[in-house]
Parts: sequence; structure tokens; C-alpha cells
Amino acid sequence: MSNNANSYGAGIMAKTGKEFADEYFAEENQVVHESHEVVLVLKKSDEMNIIVEEILLGDRKDDNPTLVVEDRAGYWWLKATGKIEIDCEEAAEILGKDFNVYDFLVDVSSTIGRAFTLGETFTITSELMGLDRKLEDLES
Amino acid sequence: MAISAATKAATDALAVNRAPTSVSAQEVHRWLQSFTWDFDKNRSKYPTKYKMANDTKEQFKLIAKEYARMESVKDERQFGSLQDVLTRIDAGNKVHPKWNETMKVISNFLEVGEYNAIAATGMLWDSASAPEQKNGYLAQTLDEIRHTNQCGYVNYYFTKHGQDAAGHNDARRTRTIGPLWKGMKRVFSDGFISGDAVECSINLQLVGEACFTNPLIVAVTEWAAANGDEITPTVFLSIETDELRHMANGYQTIVSIANDEAASKYLNTDLNNAFWTQQKYFTPVLGMMFEYGSHFKVEPWVKTWNRWVYEDWGGIWIGRLGKYGVESPASLRDAKKDAYWAHHDLFLLAYALWPTGFFRLTLPTAEEADWFEENYPGWHEHYGVIYEEWRKRGCEDPNSGFIPLMWFIENNHPIYIDRVSQVPFCPDLCKGASTLRVHEYNGKKNTFSDDWGERMWLTEPERYECQNMFEQYAGRELSEVIAELHGVRSDGKTLIAQPHTDKDGKMWTLDDIKALNCVFSDPVDAL
Repeated sequence: MSNNANSYGAGIMAKTGKEFADEYFAEENQVVHESHEVVLVLKKSDEMNIIVEEILLGDRKDDNPTLVVEDRAGYWWLKATGKIEIDCEEAAEILGKDFNVYDFLVDVSSTIGRAFTLGETFTITSELMGLDRKLEDLES
Repeated sequence: MAISAATKAATDALAVNRAPTSVSAQEVHRWLQSFTWDFDKNRSKYPTKYKMANDTKEQFKLIAKEYARMESVKDERQFGSLQDVLTRIDAGNKVHPKWNETMKVISNFLEVGEYNAIAATGMLWDSASAPEQKNGYLAQTLDEIRHTNQCGYVNYYFTKHGQDAAGHNDARRTRTIGPLWKGMKRVFSDGFISGDAVECSINLQLVGEACFTNPLIVAVTEWAAANGDEITPTVFLSIETDELRHMANGYQTIVSIANDEAASKYLNTDLNNAFWTQQKYFTPVLGMMFEYGSHFKVEPWVKTWNRWVYEDWGGIWIGRLGKYGVESPASLRDAKKDAYWAHHDLFLLAYALWPTGFFRLTLPTAEEADWFEENYPGWHEHYGVIYEEWRKRGCEDPNSGFIPLMWFIENNHPIYIDRVSQVPFCPDLCKGASTLRVHEYNGKKNTFSDDWGERMWLTEPERYECQNMFEQYAGRELSEVIAELHGVRSDGKTLIAQPHTDKDGKMWTLDDIKALNCVFSDPVDAL
């Protein structure tokens, strides 16, 4: 279990019983608070397990130190501040087979944040795509 | 032979730019955009009070071939697991009996939601004017067809390979007996397909999918796995791989109307109504199914709700849209109260009304009662003592001549049905955000449990005409209603629903219910 503020059991989730109830019902928690985190749920599979272990927690671990990955039985639960990006060309090289961004989407189970593809890159970001920034098309 | 100017132009162009030998899917997607289909003057059969922009994008750049390839791989993996390893290890019989009952409700109800979402997204395809937005909605229509089949397959699989098939097979035939189906149809049907097209998108995509599919289809897989069910994670996590595109569709609906004047007038009210509509049913029902329909607990439902609904959907979707005028839903305070208590309120009533269901319920064990008290301080004093009394009176045994509904009548605790959500409530006993209010309209008394539904009804009373079971069966005897509405197993006398999951316990029959002489009466008559 990570001590990172983005971990599954962080903050109020670490509390139980009355202590949890007091914070849950506190006046300041009766409205939503803006969050710059993103959540990604990856269905476990040969490809996703390798992407998580070799890329997100391996070669690219330093890209975003806020990233937390937790094992939730049938899926990997990921949370990070800002964005999570997966380059499927890099994944293809590690997997040793053709693997494009649509192959990656086969096992992406949920996203909280703005997720999109561009070329062979999958991105989930806290940015408001289409409002704060335009969604781009692939350039010639 | 002379060549045409067009042929010459094509020949010249190919001389400079050789025909490509391969092209990536996203290059095809970009090329398709150059067709610039003009839907600007689109005449929709399903109008909306909002003006949807003509340049809205689709975030995943789908083309038909990649879509079909992705979905076929998903199906291959899912059916491969189900029909090979899971059948070989007899996975259906390794599911805890309590969870087996829970899946009768979850997969049957989700099937209805998916089925209605086919119509909802077809409607949205018709209403939108941006080509890419239409592309996203169209792929979703195809997804929803896939999901309907997947949910149907889960029930088929549990029926064929699992334990206690009754309720997994053909649950829909029991849909008019009890109150749970009608509430479900309010969120999963009416909310998705009736009214303004953008309002339907907010209900289906921005709230139903972006918010509640995470507990309903993702978190549920953890509960399933903890209770020995490997079937549900295999199918549901595959369903959810399409939901991220649906969430993006819902977000792009908001993007498409963000600059429309109507958004500043209507969007926050529509969002609040959609949030309340969806949470009013999902919050208590999912909490009840997870906590009371499992043996092994993953975490308190209120924590699951707090994570996926309040912190993540609230903060990451709604909170981020604050600078575009989107406000925290006004009903959030009441929704949070419901997330803590309403599923306990609902189980009390569901257990009291168990003969009207299509699944088996179980009273909490002593060990579970301790877990409830630890996580919901005050649970035992309010609910636990009632269950102890019911158990002492033999509520599980048909020879006892006692069903808990009789306890409500004896103690003068009337049960009402909320007209808007169709969710039952007992004002005397509920700790969630429900209180009784009554309106007489067109010669009929209508009961409501909260401000938000009451407000929606006052705006459009004609929309909420659904008769509840007390109105529908007033004066009729319970066993007669159950028999007529197919609530019995294949022997024609044993009820599908039972108040226990003990395989050695005696099963209740129509004769046992008839001996109680329970006659439906409408509690509003006494008001």
C-alpha cells in the first residue's frame, strides 16, 4: 500500500466508523471539490500486466511520481495527478508484437478524466479537452 | 482514345504521390473528416432545447474496421474464458450462494439498462449535428447491443452452469409483482429515453455511465471475485471497456452545448435532476446488493460511493467543469445521507416484502451484524434489533406463519412508494434522506419521499403515472398475485423468492403464503 495521496485507501478512506462519518458528513464535504486527478481502470490481461509492470511502473515510473497503481482483483486501478499517457509503439516493442492504440483500448475498462487517442498514443488528462484545449487530428 | 480531365488529374496526382501501400486507422479517420458531411441543417425527430454545436469531436477516432476488430477480440477473450477454463473448473458452483442471488438482480437489471441505451443513443445520433459526435453515438449504439447480449449471457450461464437457476432464467416474467423492477425502469428506461435528447444524454452518459457504471460494473467485480464469482468480472470488465467511450460521448454532449445560451438557463437543473434520478435508485440498491448480498465484504458501500461518486465523478468530472458554470448538484447533501443509510432502509423493506421478489435474501449473521455496527455506528440499535426479533419469530421457516411484512402492519409502520422514483420507503423507520409528503392530483393521492422528486413531479406530473403495487393489487391476496404473475418455480408451487439461502432449509410455497391471508391495501387510503 502506497502512502501517496492518490492511493486507494488514502485520506478519508483510511478512517473507519465514527471518524469516517464525521468527515464524510462535515459541512465542507457537502459540495464537490474540483480535482486535477485522473483515474484509469485496466482489465488484467497479458498485455496490460506487462504495460503496467514494464512501462508504467518500470521505464516510465519517473514521468509522473504521483501515479499509483493498485491490484483490485480483476483489474488494475490507476490514479495520478495531471495525466497518464501510454505510447503503444513503445508497448509494441516490449510486447514483441503488433500492438496499436486500438489493441490497447481492448482492455481499458474505465476512465475518469478526458481520455483520447492521437496516433499511437493514449492519453487521459485532467484538462478539459474540447473546452480548454482543442482535440487534434493526426497531422499529415 | 481521349482521356477526360478528371482522369488526367488523377493520373498526374498519382505520378507525384504514389498510392499508399498501407495507411493507419487514424489517417483513415482524418481522411473521412474531409468528406465534411453537412448536418448543420439536420432535422431531428428528437429535438432538444439546447443547440448542439456542429464541430464537436469524438475522442477515440474510431473507424468501423478498428471498432469491429476491437470488439471481436473482446468477445473472443470473454467467451474463451467462460466456455473453456471457467466451465472446466465448475466456476458457476463455486460462487457463494448469497452472491449467486445478487447476480440475479444485477445482471437482469443491467440488461434492461443496456437495452434502453440502444434506443437512447440511436436518438442522440439523430439529434446531434456534428459528424464526429454522430460517429461516437453510433459506435455506442452498437456497444449497447453487445452489452444487452452479454448481460443475457451472464444469466444464461448462471442458469446452465450454476446453482439455483430460478430467477436467473426469465426473471422478467416476475417484473410486475414487486417494487424493484419499477424503480429500475424509472432510471434505466424512462431516464434514458424520455424527454429532451440532451437531458437523456445527461441521464445516460454523464451521470449513469460516467458516475454509476463505476460502482455497478467495475467495483462489483471486486465483490464478485471476493465471493467466488469469476464469471461476472470476466464479462463486466469487458462491458466496461466500451463505457469509457460512452463517458466521453456524455462529456462531448456538454462540450457541444457549452457555448449555447440555453446551457446557462437549464444545464444545472437538468444535471441535478439526472443525478438525483440515478442516485435515488442506484445508491440504495447497489449498497444493498453489495453488503447484504455477499458473504465476504470488500469495504463499506459508503466508501465505494464516496470514492467513485463523490470524489472522482464529483471532483474530476463536475468539479472541473465549474469554470464553465456547472455547479455541484444541489441534491448532493441528501444523496450523501442516502449513501450512508438508504441501503439499510431498503434491505429492511426488501426483506419484509421478500415474497414479491425473484431472488433469495438472507438476514445478516451475527458476524455480519458486527461488521455493520463497526462501519455504520448506530446500525444495531436501529436495524439489528429488528432482525433479531424477526429471526426469533422464525421468519425463515414456512412453519412459523410469519413474514416480516406482518411486523410492519402490527407495529403500524406503513410502507409507501415514492411516485417519482418508485422506491418504497417507511417514514417511521428510515434513516436516509426520506420523509413523507403527499399531493392529491386528478383524484389520486401521490406520495413522495424527497424534495427533489417532488419538485420534478410538480413540473411534469403527467410523466409519473406508473401504478405502484399497492394501487395495482389493492384487495387481492398475496399468493394469488404471486401465482398469477409467475413468481413460482417449475414445480408450480414453490416460490422463486425465499427468505434464506440455506440449501437444507425448507422452501416456502404458495400454500404457506396463502395461510398468512395477506391482502394488499393501499396505505395512502388512511392518509
